[in-house]
Amino acid sequence: MKDNVKSGALTEVTFFILLSLYEPKHGYAIMQFIDEKTNGRLVLGAGSLYGAINTLTEKGWIEPYGDSDGRKKEYVITEKGRQIAEKELQRLRDLTETAACIMQK
Amino acid sequence: MSIVKRRFFAGFTGSQTKWLNSMAEKGYRLVKTGKIEYVFDECEPGKYVYVVEYVGDKSFEEEEKYKAFLEDLGYQVFYKNVNLAYSTNKLTFRPWADKAGKLSTLKTTFNKELLIVEKENDGKPFRLHTEKQDQIDYYNRMSRPWYFAVFMALLLAIIYWPSVLPTAVCGGLAVILALPVIIMTLKARKIKKEKELEE
Repeated sequence: MKDNVKSGALTEVTFFILLSLYEPKHGYAIMQFIDEKTNGRLVLGAGSLYGAINTLTEKGWIEPYGDSDGRKKEYVITEKGRQIAEKELQRLRDLTETAACIMQK
Repeated sequence: MSIVKRRFFAGFTGSQTKWLNSMAEKGYRLVKTGKIEYVFDECEPGKYVYVVEYVGDKSFEEEEKYKAFLEDLGYQVFYKNVNLAYSTNKLTFRPWADKAGKLSTLKTTFNKELLIVEKENDGKPFRLHTEKQDQIDYYNRMSRPWYFAVFMALLLAIIYWPSVLPTAVCGGLAVILALPVIIMTLKARKIKKEKELEE
């Protein structure tokens, strides 16, 4: 998973994983969240999710949540992750505004 | 009732996936794997789906972590060998692998190059790698051992030079071994082009 650093744009999956973790979740719940919120349009495979969780943890955008001994491991978004998600929301707002402006003329 | 089937698919993960899924459709669920043996129990036809993934480049720790992650998702996971070589060696060297994965032992990653992953059929296609970048990385990782094999065959061809027959045999072998590399590179390139448009 590589996100475009230059433009700051996140991949759709990255953004959805960040959104899903505003409440702590384990891997399966993240996949379910994405499936539900996109009505099954966006499919996230387990291998891709595994890679994404590792990358986002390394970047410090998400972190393991609570004591997961003997239970399924849970993750939650960090403060840095929230900032990134907010920036993405603003970027998308600007984009839709520009698009609407041009296309509705 | 259990049945035992004997098959060997080497590195052809696609064919192995297809075969396991056709067994599941007939009502056989995988319960155990040996070197060439697959043990199945009877089950409701089509209840399970399978996918086979190459993990031969991962270290033992990484492999176990990944396996545990998949099991956490509720999947059943089996290890499978990619080769038939019998090893009594304590160590096997894998120059193409990541970090600690370079040294493979019987106790760790040897004969555990593939993962067979099973989940209950929910009617959707069962894929582990859905992100394009992820698929590109996967093809690249899978082609690394083949690069190494091509290199070894070419090296032998050079060593045997100028004696014609062994040089020709090794050279021919290098060409054959290069085919999977070419196929995987083309696949990765195609995905890369699609990715440039979509993301």
